[in-house]
Amino acid sequence: MAIYGNEALIAMTPELKAHLIERLALDQPLWRQFGAYLLALVQGDVGYSYYYKAPVSSIVLGRLPWTLLLVGTALIISTLSGIVLGIESGWRRGSRRDKSLLTGLMTISGFPDFFLGMLLLIGFGVTLGIFPLSGAITPYSGLSGAALVLDVLHHLFLPLTALTLCHIGASYLLTRNTMVTVLKNPYILTAKAKGITDQAVRYQHAGRNALLPVITQTGIQLGRMISGVIFIEIVFAYPGLGYLTYEALLARDYPVIQGVLLVVAVFVLIANFLVDLSYSRLDPRIRYAH
Amino acid sequence: MHINPKEEIRHSKFAMFGISILLLLLIIAIFGPLLTPYEPLSQTRFAFEPPSFNHWLGTNYVGQDIFSQLIYGARTSLLVGFSAALLAILLSAIIGTSAALVGGLYDKIVMRIVDAFIVIPAIIIIILVAAYLKPSIAILILLLALLGWQGGARTIRAQALSLKELGHISAARSFGASNLYLIFRHILPDLVPILLMGFIYGVRRAVFMEAGLAFLGIVDPTTVSWGMMMHEALDFSYLDVWRWWLIPPGVALSLTILAVTGIGHTLEGALDPRLRREANA
Repeated sequence: MAIYGNEALIAMTPELKAHLIERLALDQPLWRQFGAYLLALVQGDVGYSYYYKAPVSSIVLGRLPWTLLLVGTALIISTLSGIVLGIESGWRRGSRRDKSLLTGLMTISGFPDFFLGMLLLIGFGVTLGIFPLSGAITPYSGLSGAALVLDVLHHLFLPLTALTLCHIGASYLLTRNTMVTVLKNPYILTAKAKGITDQAVRYQHAGRNALLPVITQTGIQLGRMISGVIFIEIVFAYPGLGYLTYEALLARDYPVIQGVLLVVAVFVLIANFLVDLSYSRLDPRIRYAH
Repeated sequence: MHINPKEEIRHSKFAMFGISILLLLLIIAIFGPLLTPYEPLSQTRFAFEPPSFNHWLGTNYVGQDIFSQLIYGARTSLLVGFSAALLAILLSAIIGTSAALVGGLYDKIVMRIVDAFIVIPAIIIIILVAAYLKPSIAILILLLALLGWQGGARTIRAQALSLKELGHISAARSFGASNLYLIFRHILPDLVPILLMGFIYGVRRAVFMEAGLAFLGIVDPTTVSWGMMMHEALDFSYLDVWRWWLIPPGVALSLTILAVTGIGHTLEGALDPRLRREANA
C-alpha cells in the first residue's frame, strides 16, 4: 500500500506504521540501511517509486533524453552565439556596436528564466496560439517519422528560446572580457603586422585563445543542467528531469528524488572531468605542465 | 589589490543605474504603507477588477489590491536578498580566511565539505527543504545563507592563501601576531573588494531564489512576494489579467536583478586590472 505526502497525516494507523517501518527497514541502524542502498546501487537498483509505481531507474532514464535534448541544444546555441558576439564585441571595445551588444545582452540576462519563459508562453502560446502550451510531444497523436520530429521541435521551440536567451549573456560576457585581455598580447600585433586579414586575427589568433574560460564555464553549466533547467521545465510542463524533480517533491516521492540527485551528482562529476580533458586539447601549455 | 570601488562605480553609467534603482526600491520598501491605502492581503469581493483610479493595477482573484502587493513585494525581495547575502558572505569570510590561516586538518575538512556542496546544486536542496518547511522569511534567509557560502569560501580561501605569503604578513607574524589579529588587521581589509563582489552576487542569487521558490508556491503563503504574485497570475493566463498582474512583478524582479548585475559587473571590471579603464557602457 502506498502512502505519501500529507495523506500520511490522515491515513496513518499504528498497524500501518509498524508495517511500513518493517517493510522499509527503518528499524535497522543507519549504516546498515546505507550499506543496503550501496549494495543495491552496485546491482543497478536505485529504488522503486511509490508514486509512479515503477523502478526509479526507468523513470529517470525515460525523462533524461528530454532534458538532454533541451539543455544540450540550448547550451550549444547560446555558447556558440555568445562566443561569436563576444569576439565581435571585444574586438572593438567601446565602439557603438560593443556598447549596444553589452547593454542588450546584460538586460536579457537580468530576466529571471521563469519570467522570460512565462512571457514567451503567454505571448506565443496563449495569445498568438502558434506554439503548444506544454509537454514535449502531442499525446496520443500516433505521429511518426518527419511529422514526429516536427512535433518535437514545435514543442521544443519556446522552452529552448527561453533557455538560450538566459544563457547567452554568460558566455558572451566571458568571451568579451577574455578577448579584451588576449588582444593586448604581442602576438596579436605581430599577426596584424604580417598583414593577415582582420577576420583571421579576430577568430584564429584572438578568438581561439579566448575560448578556454568559456569552455570551462559551459562544462560547469552542462553539469548543472538538471538544476538550471528546473524553472523552465516547470513553466512549460516539459517532461524532463527538472520537472520530474518538482513532481516528485510535491508527491514526496523520496526514491525518485534520491535517484535524480544521484544523476545530478554523476553529471557534475562527468562534466568536470570532460572540462579537464578538453583543457589540454585547447591549451597545449597545460600538457607540458604535467 | 588596493582598489577604490566607490570611484569605479561613480564612473560607470551601468552601476549608477543599478544604484539608483536599488535606492528607489529601498525607498518604496521603507515607505510602502504610505504609498498605498490597502493591505496587500486583505480580501474584498471585487475580484479581477481592471486597473482603475482606486486600484492602480486592478485586483486579483480574491480581490486583493495588486499595486499594494507589488509595493510590499519589494520589502520581501530586498529583505531576503540583502540579509541572506550578508549572512552568506560573513560565513564565507570567516570560513575561508580561517581555513587559509589555520590550514592542516581543519582546512582539509572544510574544503571537502565545500566540494560536497558544490557537486549537488544548492537549488535542488533548497527546493527540497522549502517544499518540506514552507519557510517563513526568517527561515528562508537562514536557508539561503547556509547553502550560499561555499563558493565564496573557496575564492576567499584562495585569495587569503596568496595574501598570507606577502611580506608584511610574514613580518607581522614574526612579531608574534596571532591568526585572529592577522585576519582582522591585514587579510580582511585587502579582501574587501572580493567580499563586496561576493555580496553583490549573493544578493542577486538570493533575490532570484526567493522569487523562484515563491513562484513554485513552496514558501509561506502569507508572505507577499513578487514570485508568489507570478505564481498566482500564471493560473489565469487565459484571461487578460496577466497584463497588470503578471508583468509588473516580473518587470520589478527583472529590474532588481539587473540593477544588482550592473553593480556587480562594474566591480568585476574594477577588480580585474586587465579589464580596467574601459569605456564603460
